[in-house]
Amino acid sequence: MSTVARFHALLWGVFSLGGFIAAFFLPILIYINNIAYPLGLWPVTSKDPTRLLVINQTVSTLFVFAAVGGSLFHGIFRLSATLAELGLKKQEAKITALGYAIIAVGLLALGYYLWLLSPNIIPGLAPPWSK
Amino acid sequence: MIRELTSFFVTAFSLIYIYQVYRLASNPGTYSQYLDTVRSPAMISFSIVALGFTLFHSVTWFYLIGKIQPIKIGRKKTSPLLALGINTVFLVIISFAVLQLFIVGK
Repeated sequence: MSTVARFHALLWGVFSLGGFIAAFFLPILIYINNIAYPLGLWPVTSKDPTRLLVINQTVSTLFVFAAVGGSLFHGIFRLSATLAELGLKKQEAKITALGYAIIAVGLLALGYYLWLLSPNIIPGLAPPWSK
Repeated sequence: MIRELTSFFVTAFSLIYIYQVYRLASNPGTYSQYLDTVRSPAMISFSIVALGFTLFHSVTWFYLIGKIQPIKIGRKKTSPLLALGINTVFLVIISFAVLQLFIVGK
């Protein structure tokens, strides 16, 4: 198997994993952060859920990274393929490249800002500005 | 086609949430202004639609996995409906676990 084919298989594997992550983790994150909290539905929280999840919390911060990062990868990967099927076949290479760029920037930004909020997610390596 | 449309809402919510984390990390002082956006009727409406599509993604994904990769038990193979049922139970358990571990009582 060539390197390109292996890389392609790896991307499809991550896409599939992202599909599971989006299926299992995303609904509860949308509900608690964007529906229950603003509408005061069960379970009512004193702080906004994002603060509870990502400020100085290791496990829940990793949960947020997995949920949002995995969903972003899966969503964009699938959206690119859908746009190509919808008549943008000629633009497929550009759409795919743009998709990977958004995934890369999105994952880096998410990881970076979560690290800022919960420096202990990488044990022994605090962000430079915290010294 | 509706199944493919779920990817738009999954992507949109992910990007919006990354923006929320960015707002919280970069300027906690103005973060409360962003929370007003979260509480706006437009954002709540979008979120309800996004939740609907995400749950649709969950259901179709679980069914699809059961179809593509059935588990062999003895001579029989599990059906997609069984995979859907089992994974839906897992979805409920995971959702309650996330609420109990990270949100309730904090």
